[in-house]
Amino acid sequence: MNFLVWRLHRHQVYWAAAALAALTVLLIVTGTTMASDYRSFFATCSATQSCSDAGSLLFRGDGAIIDLVNATVVVPLLFGLFWAAPLVAKEYEEGTQNLAWTQGVTRRHWLSTNVMWVFVAAAAWAGTLTVLVSWWRSPENALSGRFDAFDIQGIVPIAYAIFAVALGLGVGSIFRRVLPAIATTLGAFLTVRIVTAIYIRPHFMTALTKKLPLALSTRGAPPGAWILSGGLVGPNGHYYGDGISLDQVPAACRVGAFGGKGVTPNCLAVHGFHQWVTFQPASRFWTFQGIEATIFFVLSIALVAFTYRMVLRRDA
Amino acid sequence: MTLAIETIGLGKRYGTTWALQDCSIQVPQGRVSALVGPNGAGKTTLLRLLVGLSRPTSGQAEILGLAPGPSEEFLSRIGYLAQEVPLYRRLSADDHLAIGAHLNANWDSSGARERLAALRVPTDRPIATLSGGQRAQVALGLALAKRPQVLLLDEPVAALDPLARREFLVSLSEAVAEGDLSVVLSSHLLHDLERVCDHVILLASSRTQICDDIDTVLASHKMLLGPRQTVSRTKQGLDVIKATHTANQTRLLVRLDAPVLDPTWEVSEVSLEEIVLAYMGMREVASPGPLTTVRTAS
Repeated sequence: MNFLVWRLHRHQVYWAAAALAALTVLLIVTGTTMASDYRSFFATCSATQSCSDAGSLLFRGDGAIIDLVNATVVVPLLFGLFWAAPLVAKEYEEGTQNLAWTQGVTRRHWLSTNVMWVFVAAAAWAGTLTVLVSWWRSPENALSGRFDAFDIQGIVPIAYAIFAVALGLGVGSIFRRVLPAIATTLGAFLTVRIVTAIYIRPHFMTALTKKLPLALSTRGAPPGAWILSGGLVGPNGHYYGDGISLDQVPAACRVGAFGGKGVTPNCLAVHGFHQWVTFQPASRFWTFQGIEATIFFVLSIALVAFTYRMVLRRDA
Repeated sequence: MTLAIETIGLGKRYGTTWALQDCSIQVPQGRVSALVGPNGAGKTTLLRLLVGLSRPTSGQAEILGLAPGPSEEFLSRIGYLAQEVPLYRRLSADDHLAIGAHLNANWDSSGARERLAALRVPTDRPIATLSGGQRAQVALGLALAKRPQVLLLDEPVAALDPLARREFLVSLSEAVAEGDLSVVLSSHLLHDLERVCDHVILLASSRTQICDDIDTVLASHKMLLGPRQTVSRTKQGLDVIKATHTANQTRLLVRLDAPVLDPTWEVSEVSLEEIVLAYMGMREVASPGPLTTVRTAS
């Protein structure tokens, strides 16, 4: 069976290996440069007292490569679309299941070998990629925190890849046609990923809230934290959210009302206003990675069980 | 001796439509059986049930005493060639033979290679570049290389031109002559298969109408010619398959077990094709001549 899998899918492996090799070279070259820039900057910035400007001074010329690294967020999806979705669907579409499943190995054996290899391949590729990206981003991680690039480093890229593959297999076993399987995998994967990232992930653990002096910007929040929301809090403890309307501002701070000068933060601070932020602290990064990865692994197990059912129980 | 194929009340329903119903057949080993019937009679359904690609809604089937299903013991004994001649388009015949060698315990690559070489089928080119006849030969080669004891072929010659059709059937006959192999070939045209078959299974209206050796079928069916008369489905102990009438004569195709004693009937032999067409409810091509009205009795 391993031989059959290799003969049928070796070209996909060659292409994926070439793409990964090219990306590896690019990231190692640029990552090494970035790391040395970072070290030399901090070695000298204290002399000019410009260390706090690191975020704006470093890595300014690396826009394209940063975009490319951020784009690796789609890689797990590609395994689902181009490896997994056609895996079962193409057999049905071309009728070759009639050939494969009347040879001397059982349908279950055929499926297990294929499923095992596509998972091994997707996990290997995604694992290599996340190690590379995590290393490449280490200066950025030190400056702005890992939560900024939660989806492309740590262990979640592997979980996403496993999920994309399981989804592609499951959808392919329903539709038995390649194009509908690919289209549905695309839609379902994006839906699950976006819903999880936007609506579920912020609530993995109860967010912390912190009151900060008004004079500081949100940079006053703990370094590397994932800031969920922020706003003004009044002297009576009332939360105003992101904005405050002019009639809520103490009269003394209304500088020439509607005269175009607006409200001065210092005046509000004097009148007992603070700002507040809710956030997930940087120390929770790995806990969040673990929770998110677990969600996608559990979904994947369910999808694989479903695929077995569809392939083994339904008529070929 | 174990039967090559035995089914009891086998049926398959898709939604509300029965593709095959109440199919009970027995095929002894060593036969080359023609599975014939009109389009939609359930030939493909029967073959897919027999190889375990689909599951019956009712009844049961056995091949060499084993129920079709996911066991290597069963799979090692059957060979199957589906109607659309499925092969991996980007792989070559050599690739397919190499894969087969990895998937089957009792694989015979060299025999298949010799057969394909004799037919000048290129084995190193992708399947997509081969002609329909060459693909059918590759697929047959793969099915035979498995060394099955029961080989099931679904309309293997339907898409082939007459020459490729002939070569295919010759290859099959040679393989049958070499070893003890039971074969079922389906076709909606008996004519394609008659030369190589010694057994016939006729499906019509989703049911089995005939399942017997061709010699037995021929011996038990006669054409009776007599004065014009009305006939019922069973007449004087005869099973009337089909009746045609001319102005003053009645012609009956009957199935019978004993000689016809009534001297008013003139008894003649009838060809297998006529028998099969009669069961399918089709009318033979009218012979040329001064015919008057021709009506078909129900």
